Amino acid sequence: MAMDYGRDYGRAEARRAHRVPAVLRAPLEGRTWREFLYLLLSLPMAVLTFSFAVTMTTAGVAMLITFVGVPVLAAALVGVRALGAVERARARSLLKLEISEPEPVRAPNGKRGLMPWVGALLKSGVSWRHVLYALLHLPWAIGAFTVSVVMWSVGWALFLYPAYWWMYPTWWGQPGMQIGAEPGHGAGLFVDNPFEIGVTCAAGLALVLATPWVIRGLASVDRLMVSALLGPSRLAERVWELEEDRGVVVDTAAADLRRIERDLHDGAQARLVALAMDLGLAKEKLEEDPEAAARMVDEAHGEVKLALQELRDLARGIHPAILTDRGLGPALSALAARCTVPVQAEVDLPARPAAAIEGIAYFTVSELLQNISKHSGARSARVDVWHSSGRLMLQVWDDGRGGASTAGGSGLAGLAERLGSVDGLLVVDSPEGGPTTVTAELPWRG
Amino acid sequence: MRVVIAEDSVLLREGLTRLLTDRGHDVVAGVGDGEALIKAIRELADEGALPDVVVADVRMPPTHTDEGVRAAVQLRKEHPGLGVLVLSQYVEEQYATELLAGSSTGVGYLLKDRVAEVREFVDAVVRVARGGTALDPEVVAQLLGRSRKQDVLAGLTPREREVLGLMAEGRTNSAVAKQLVVSDGAVEKHVSNIFLKLGLSPSDGDHRRVLAVLTYLRS
Amino acid sequence: MTASSAARSTSSTSHTSPSSHSIANSSFGDEARDGAGDGAAGGDRLPPARFAFGARTWKEVAHLLLNLPEALAGFLYVSLWLYAGVLTSLTVIGLPLLAVGLMGARALGRLERRRARALLGLRIEEPSPLSRQSRGQGFFPWLWTTLKDPVAWRTTLYGFIRLPWGVLTFALTLCLLLVGWPLLGYAARGMTNLDRAMVRGLLSPSSELERRIAELEEDRGVVVDTAAADLRRIERDLHDGAQARLVALAMGLGLAKEKVLEDPEAAARMVDEAHGEVKLALQELRDLARGIHPAVLTDRGLDAALSSVAARCTVPVSVSVDLAERPAPAIEGIAYFTVSELLQNISKHSRARTAEVELWRKDRRLLIQVRDDGRGGASTDSGSGLAGLAERLGSVDGLFEVDSPPGGPTVVTAELPWRGRTAG
Repeated sequence: MAMDYGRDYGRAEARRAHRVPAVLRAPLEGRTWREFLYLLLSLPMAVLTFSFAVTMTTAGVAMLITFVGVPVLAAALVGVRALGAVERARARSLLKLEISEPEPVRAPNGKRGLMPWVGALLKSGVSWRHVLYALLHLPWAIGAFTVSVVMWSVGWALFLYPAYWWMYPTWWGQPGMQIGAEPGHGAGLFVDNPFEIGVTCAAGLALVLATPWVIRGLASVDRLMVSALLGPSRLAERVWELEEDRGVVVDTAAADLRRIERDLHDGAQARLVALAMDLGLAKEKLEEDPEAAARMVDEAHGEVKLALQELRDLARGIHPAILTDRGLGPALSALAARCTVPVQAEVDLPARPAAAIEGIAYFTVSELLQNISKHSGARSARVDVWHSSGRLMLQVWDDGRGGASTAGGSGLAGLAERLGSVDGLLVVDSPEGGPTTVTAELPWRG
Repeated sequence: MRVVIAEDSVLLREGLTRLLTDRGHDVVAGVGDGEALIKAIRELADEGALPDVVVADVRMPPTHTDEGVRAAVQLRKEHPGLGVLVLSQYVEEQYATELLAGSSTGVGYLLKDRVAEVREFVDAVVRVARGGTALDPEVVAQLLGRSRKQDVLAGLTPREREVLGLMAEGRTNSAVAKQLVVSDGAVEKHVSNIFLKLGLSPSDGDHRRVLAVLTYLRS
Repeated sequence: MTASSAARSTSSTSHTSPSSHSIANSSFGDEARDGAGDGAAGGDRLPPARFAFGARTWKEVAHLLLNLPEALAGFLYVSLWLYAGVLTSLTVIGLPLLAVGLMGARALGRLERRRARALLGLRIEEPSPLSRQSRGQGFFPWLWTTLKDPVAWRTTLYGFIRLPWGVLTFALTLCLLLVGWPLLGYAARGMTNLDRAMVRGLLSPSSELERRIAELEEDRGVVVDTAAADLRRIERDLHDGAQARLVALAMGLGLAKEKVLEDPEAAARMVDEAHGEVKLALQELRDLARGIHPAVLTDRGLDAALSSVAARCTVPVSVSVDLAERPAPAIEGIAYFTVSELLQNISKHSRARTAEVELWRKDRRLLIQVRDDGRGGASTDSGSGLAGLAERLGSVDGLFEVDSPPGGPTVVTAELPWRGRTAG
């Protein structure tokens, strides 16, 4: 549990306030252009996916009466899934969508061979969701492509009009851009005087400023579609999460035990060995040199007191007895009393939660308080624990210098992971300059 | 002095018995859990031979949690004159508060480590038997740390804080003087300064001073 | 992974079925005992008056009679929100309405499962709740998750098909109750069996994934609880063992220190005692540390650690570990403690003359086999040490099998998922 907290504090880079408002920034932002590129690429991809899915599945379904239909259908689904993988990659890189691969095709009961696998492929909901995506995506992609391309190109064209207006008279022999020309109904309007040019430019600017938000909206729909139809199902995701959690829990438990063993070995055991040696020597010396013996006994005495102190600290780190005896309230106020920063602890619980939850809550507060006394420079802190709709809530507040975060590799990240592994949550709110509020949530088990 | 020992580890019970007997005290009973302790004291009380002091471990069978503290609290309620010294592998301010609740006379709460300093330990047992207090330095540190009157406490000089701590442990003025290697008069002066700064009315008698300090810290 | 989960799911069903059997058995047992009582008491006094049917049948009848109000209420609810929701879905407000209706359907399912548990003795696990991630992420994710919740849709289907069935069962039961008394028991059993099938089919967490989630959640709970219990046990052991011994030692030394100059004889005796104490304390700490996590396992791995366990076993044990690389520390620890507990069992209970330990890796599994030529008869029945091991292994997707005919030999095979050092 010896973690590096130092890095948590004083890192609030990338939080600089932008001087330019978001509205003006949007047209030039990388995100807008990435999303635009995504919508552009969507059209060819959608055409490809649609035609593949439709031809292959209809062919497969039509041929189902004969034996050939099954492999064709299987090939269709494999192909659609492969195209789905491309779509996910595209969404990941261009839309920055966090989406994991859906569960792979697995034959039930671990059966091997082609037939069970094909059966699982045909039965899997994921495959058919991919087909649905292929069908739904084409109309959407056409619409999104048209809207975004038209708005974007017209917007820029009008906005930049003053820059290339001179080309009309010099090269194309007309006074300016022509608006409203209809065959047989006159020439319409030429945009050539400064006022008209200004209006055109302004209209273009408005379009350029508005289009990023339209693109963003369109991309959001795409995002929703990809994550709903191409991602793993909700249940699969939960299974994956739980498997991960269980791994974390098992690993932390094992790591805890190894740490305790090491502490015992390096601390008390080493000290006792020294003590045994001292005493052995003293025994020999007692008769010949009582003075020296007295000194050794004295040393041994000091040694044993230190060993006891160490063992006590170790035992408290393993599981404080007062937690078992009296529960969170007294245990946390004892913890607060030992903190170098004055801490006020309030615990308001209707009953005692399960021992494991109590333990996790205790060690969470303990680590947060350690963090505070080591790095925050706080002058006072507060701990609140309460029960709210089936959750055990913890809040630790301090008036230190803030800047703590759960960024990867930090001690807070370890804590967040540990809490997450039991369906808990850790939220850190720590603006540069403080104050810091860390809120943790644990499932309540009675 | 007549002592009853409650401790589940036979090794320690015998060690304590030997240690106290060695110093000329009389260990009248040795028991292994809280219920047996209460029963033993009741029997002794019925015979009219209530011991002077009980030395009890916190964690004993059957639940191995805080039997000792609960038994001590009950004994103090039943026999106000009985001194109770609670020993523990770890000290918690919470338990001290529970023990001190009611009256602070004849109470002790020490880390087990303190038995290593044989003389001091026996002194503490005697002090508790005579109606005094013996609080572990760790408990006192927790009390000082948790006190709501940090600003007042901050007004003390380091030496005064030291004296305050030793007083809160239950030591007499002369014991404090011996510990700090200063004269009794100097301690006396520190004490009256402390009482002045804390706004406590000066009182004579070591016990009452200790009580005043403890009450102040816990309020 | 699939192999194990399948195997585990069969084992979990076989866990539940004995309990329902035992309920049935006990109620039959009651009747049998009553009957015997009748025979024996026949000569002396009249048997106590009682209802013709057992409590079970009455409960079934109650369930059948309740079917009508339930079906009516359920059907009314389901059709109301469904029509209202689907019709208004064409506008925007319909979708949230539909979602709220589906949540209500979930509640209906919960109610029905509870009723089936109380009256039919049918235990159906609750389907997993809608994922927590969608909570607190805003309205639209919530809407989407709720609308595609298969559990709620299945419950809706249940609500629809219940109406005719509810009317039928109610009418039939009422008739039999009034005029067809002798047939009531059989009819009730038959009809409730169909009820049971319906509840099981439409209201249970049916999918493989749902079952896996329930299993994993339970596993995680077991792992968390065992870890916490382990820590508490270690703290207790420390307190009762080494710490107590050290206090005694400190006291002895304190006395000796005072005596060393005035009474060297007594001091010498005390120092001698203290010396003995400290060696005992060391021994205790060493045992404790080994029980926590043997250093040799961290340093050298399973082969060395298991050899040292084998050396301490009272029965001659041969150990063969065939692993090309070391597994993740957690897996290594579990494997170690499994073998060490099995060997302890062997030396305590089996009266074996030799034992054999083998470890090897097969694909993504770590296999452990411990064999002895003792008297056999070991089982994983609840309460035994082996049951604890089986649970512990099960909680990490492991498997535990005991083959121990009376008279021996006993073969215990355990399987753990393989995780490598870097991956873990």
